[in-house]
Amino acid sequence: MNSKGTRSPAPTSIIQPCGPVDYDAAYEAMHQLAERRARDEIPDTLVLLEHPPTYTAGRTADRSHLLWDEARIAARGASIYDVDRGGSFTFHGPGQLVGYPIVKLQSRLEIIPHLRRMEEVIIRAGRDLGVLLVRDERRTGVWANEAKVCALGVRLTAARVTMHGFGLNCTTDLSWFDAIVACGIADRTVTTLSALASRPVSVPNARELVLRRYAEVFNATCSEASPELIDLFPAMTAPATIAQAR
Amino acid sequence: MTTSITMPQLGETVLEGTIIRWLKQVGETVQLDESLFEISTDKVDTEVPSPITGIVDAILVAEGTTVPVGTEVARLRGADEAGQAAGDTVLSPAIDAPVATTTGTAPEKVGAGAGADAGAGAGATSERAVVKAPVGSGPRSIVLSPVVRRLAREHRVDLSQVPGTGDGGRITRRDVERFIQAPPETGLTAVTDIGPAGAPPTAVTPPAAPPPPHPGAAPTLRVVQPVPGPREEVRPLSHIRKQIASHMVASQHAAARAWTVIEVDMENVVRVREREKEAFKAREGYSLTYLPFVARAVCEALLAFPDINSELRDDQQILHRYVNLGIAVSYEDGLIVPVIDDADTRNLVGLARAINDLATRARIKRLQPGEVQGATFTITNPGPFGSVMSLPIINQPNSAILSLDAIEQRPVVIDNAIAIRHRVYLSLSWDHRVVDGATATQFLARVKESLENWDFAEDLGT
Repeated sequence: MNSKGTRSPAPTSIIQPCGPVDYDAAYEAMHQLAERRARDEIPDTLVLLEHPPTYTAGRTADRSHLLWDEARIAARGASIYDVDRGGSFTFHGPGQLVGYPIVKLQSRLEIIPHLRRMEEVIIRAGRDLGVLLVRDERRTGVWANEAKVCALGVRLTAARVTMHGFGLNCTTDLSWFDAIVACGIADRTVTTLSALASRPVSVPNARELVLRRYAEVFNATCSEASPELIDLFPAMTAPATIAQAR
Repeated sequence: MTTSITMPQLGETVLEGTIIRWLKQVGETVQLDESLFEISTDKVDTEVPSPITGIVDAILVAEGTTVPVGTEVARLRGADEAGQAAGDTVLSPAIDAPVATTTGTAPEKVGAGAGADAGAGAGATSERAVVKAPVGSGPRSIVLSPVVRRLAREHRVDLSQVPGTGDGGRITRRDVERFIQAPPETGLTAVTDIGPAGAPPTAVTPPAAPPPPHPGAAPTLRVVQPVPGPREEVRPLSHIRKQIASHMVASQHAAARAWTVIEVDMENVVRVREREKEAFKAREGYSLTYLPFVARAVCEALLAFPDINSELRDDQQILHRYVNLGIAVSYEDGLIVPVIDDADTRNLVGLARAINDLATRARIKRLQPGEVQGATFTITNPGPFGSVMSLPIINQPNSAILSLDAIEQRPVVIDNAIAIRHRVYLSLSWDHRVVDGATATQFLARVKESLENWDFAEDLGT
């Protein structure tokens, strides 16, 4: 990681809602966190959660990469949003660990290293599971055998605070990705940690590893966020994944 | 003093960026550190803050355009220095750390950084610059940002009336804010909500779709209706067509459809029909077709195999000990299934009369509502059109449907010799939730045996 630049130790609040969080709510909350981080009212914050089935389109998403019509998406119970991050279409849903690092960067030029750090976190977490994950130097994300296991997309605010982050497929039902050309790459597929590990790797399993590796890679001193911040991310009832994992 | 704004450096290896949005327009005031524009490179969207407080003098690079780092994109005029000409400065607002000098950075890598995703790359973005739609015309984005949805919700704005100025006609936050201040007189777009009329535009779900699992996440769904070309004909769906469509889809969704085909030797039936058809037509006034023969054999077999003549209601199977036989009839508007009540109590002539009567009245649209309800089993008859096998969709709530296809002369082996015989394939689509393959096949075998061996002459009253 040295070549990617090291960070000075940063106290970091961790928010882990106890169930899936509606995308709409999380989006608003993430923007609030970023604004408060910009004013230095709160420390860097890492949000780790799951969403109900949701498709999001980055600002540069190509419409032709949405392969299902809206009725079909709605019929499967998914929502679709335009969002203010970089990148193309992606999917969030049950079985996918989503991470939103709200981090104030020292410099605008730190944004690319920020992407590389997120990749590094996932690569190390994969190693903990005995799964070999790699970067593709031309394609942001974390890969295994030409298949993407983790997608990335971020936004940097005027105050140099990062938003959005990564989506790591743990037990994701990959048929959801049939609706889109994921990240705009037609000739690559998506996969899950479970498929790569040949055993179920639940979101809580992965979350524990990601949290540990995040602290290491981001040089973060982690502690639980204040209840007031946690409440910004209301968990929906039926924390299905968590229940199933324990 | 004029301050020149340039495309900022966003990474050591990132050489260009795409302007996605100007947050300030010419003539507007921008505060120091307030966001001036947004750029996109690969996976990163970035807000670029203004380096001074001032007025936007000129915007030099349009939204959607990709330019190299360092390109002048706008000029600002210091707020209290407007009019002064001397001492111009060039500022790249986003650079707040020295640019590292890099070595060995191959251009390919750089290009890939910006073009990694087919949809987000430089090539795609420059294309987008060309296709950027003018306000209110062309196809429009079907999705909305949460901010737009919230604004619309709070101000009760009908988003179908808001012209979108974003990429692909997307409605931006600014569009909504502008609309709230001064709604235009006409909506120029071809976008329609597909939810129930009067529903708030922010929480629309198609009527056919199940409710989303979480009410808070009700997606805003919009349909882009492409404008038909000169060689395309627009035909609004008739009421009956819509009913057929939803009925068929619902059936496909509900049933676990399986398919079995049996081949029947029709010589027995053909022989009787050839002998009797003249007299029949003279007496009855209409032609004797093959359908009543098959219907007769089917009704008998249905009583013997009630699973095929059953209906699934929740977790109960209702076995009908009578046959209300639906006959699919095509007519100019589509397809309708009139029903012969108590078909199992009719002989061949009775069935022929009922079929002729219902089919005739169906084609001239003279059926009573009660005559198209309550079928316990359905036969479809595409044979006259020439098909030899069909895979029909089950007419809900039936558990099966039989297709009678074309009767043809085919070479077959009988007693180690090749013979020419009239043959037909009878296809049965059945619902595996209540019927199993053995039952379906036994049912078809029973129909086959009847058609091949019954003395239909007796049934015809001759």
